[in-house]
Amino acid sequence: MFALADCNNFFASCERVFRPDLNGRPVIVLSNNDGCAVARSNEAKALGIKMGAPFFQIKSIVEKYNLAVFSSNFALYGDMSHRVQQVLSRYSPCVEQYSIDEAFLDLRGMNIPDPDAYAKQISAKCKRLTAIPVSVGIAPTKTLAKIASKLCKQYPKLRGGCYMHRPQDIEKVLRRFPVEDVWGIGRRSAAKLSSMQVRTAWEFVQLPETSIRKLFALPGYRTWLELQGTPCIEFEDTLEPRQSICVSRSFAKEITDCQGLCEQVANFAESTAHKLRAQKSMALQMAVFAFTNRFKDNAPQTYGSRLVVFPEATADHSAIVRSAVAATRELYRPGYGYKKAGVVIVKLIQEDAAVGSLFRDDLQARKNERISSSIDTLNRNFGPGTILFGIQGDGHIKMSREHQSPHYTTLWSDIPKVSVK
Amino acid sequence: MQPHEIEGSEALEALMLGDVKAGFPSPAEDVREKLDLMKLLVRHSPSTFFFRIDGVSMVDADMDEGDIIIVDRAIDPYDGCKAVCFIDGEYTVKKVQLKPDGATLLPCNDQNSRYKPIPVGPGDEFLIWGVVTYIIKKA
Repeated sequence: MFALADCNNFFASCERVFRPDLNGRPVIVLSNNDGCAVARSNEAKALGIKMGAPFFQIKSIVEKYNLAVFSSNFALYGDMSHRVQQVLSRYSPCVEQYSIDEAFLDLRGMNIPDPDAYAKQISAKCKRLTAIPVSVGIAPTKTLAKIASKLCKQYPKLRGGCYMHRPQDIEKVLRRFPVEDVWGIGRRSAAKLSSMQVRTAWEFVQLPETSIRKLFALPGYRTWLELQGTPCIEFEDTLEPRQSICVSRSFAKEITDCQGLCEQVANFAESTAHKLRAQKSMALQMAVFAFTNRFKDNAPQTYGSRLVVFPEATADHSAIVRSAVAATRELYRPGYGYKKAGVVIVKLIQEDAAVGSLFRDDLQARKNERISSSIDTLNRNFGPGTILFGIQGDGHIKMSREHQSPHYTTLWSDIPKVSVK
Repeated sequence: MQPHEIEGSEALEALMLGDVKAGFPSPAEDVREKLDLMKLLVRHSPSTFFFRIDGVSMVDADMDEGDIIIVDRAIDPYDGCKAVCFIDGEYTVKKVQLKPDGATLLPCNDQNSRYKPIPVGPGDEFLIWGVVTYIIKKA
């Protein structure tokens, strides 16, 4: 038995934690640079605001219906996500954080007399302790648990928790569940199924095993089995290190000068190095790219990228930042307005698998490692940007965040105020 | 960005906890326990939040402008507790008086008659945001 706990409209709900006055009022959260809506409260969804709707297109609705609009506040969302995870970890020894707002709980081998009550209890506890509404679905497989959690969102009378296990109940639900919304059915599989007139999860389950094996790769077959109650998607409570790491952003204002572009790329590179080190990996190859605004018709367009091959695997901040800046200088062309840039570690290995090169200067490498770990420590203990490379400028990625709420839970200067009356 | 002062004791500790090169090893070298205020003040970390006292409109309320209060949502309101409440669109610290059929929110200072008691019915538990567990004030 597995549970999926999914925070309802997570970013919008986080914005409400310290603003109870927003309950009942439509809330949207915008992507980086305030580009488009990435989270919507139920009230905002009811107004017809779609996921990913560009902000400029919905401005009239914002004014007409008094929408509360927020820029992304990842410090707040990260902290609230961590709190919810802490609560969930009381309900299972194995919790797999699937994304910032979703986690699987492995309930196998646990003695839970009433799973439906258990689901409702988890939801109520999350709400009570963190003020975040969470939908909890419990089912025989991870795929079905995800569907069960969606039911909780559809039907408020389930009070945030639902146990879906009887075959006749599962059939009833799958008959109404669009196949493209099933976890694990990607866009390509969905198109394939649509051309075969397979519209619901139930119709998908009815396909014979032979045609499933013929039409889909292993993941599709697993999904098919999981929908029938056979668990076959592994539980991953230890996060696998990522096979590539990417940090990229679009800029609030186009960047035309080389120095400005280098500063931004240096910030991305520093952040990449930090992520790399956090998962104990080392970079072998890194790509750096920058391009202009494709949506601006009359402006001259350019796209530049460079591949950096490190002479030996490295997780050294200065080596990564220096190479990224050098690559940026190479790809930069004057006379263009750059809108977006990024740094991607395209090839990496785990640090314990790294092989030193013949010409490696061990003493220097050890010195660099000490510098890099000091940078990590300082920035972890005193906040990101405490120590920077000169090329990073002021260390800020140039983004517009006009509507950002305070960092209520992560900065002393931003904690909420209260009066005594 | 604010400059961070490195406390004198930390610097001293850094000097003292190094390898002992010669002589008799310090018997206290392995003792690294420290008193951690967070452990004392934060009993339930997922549900603990900090607020700053902003407006004080009464004397003898235990709380002064600028104090930081620690609020724990894991604690059920008990009779006589102080709680952060959300009233008329703002956060206010009130004293909770429990009654068999609900609760009443009183001003923190009983003698203050400027603020009327606010009854809390079964439907508006949300009025009480969280229970105050500690008040941190500057001496």
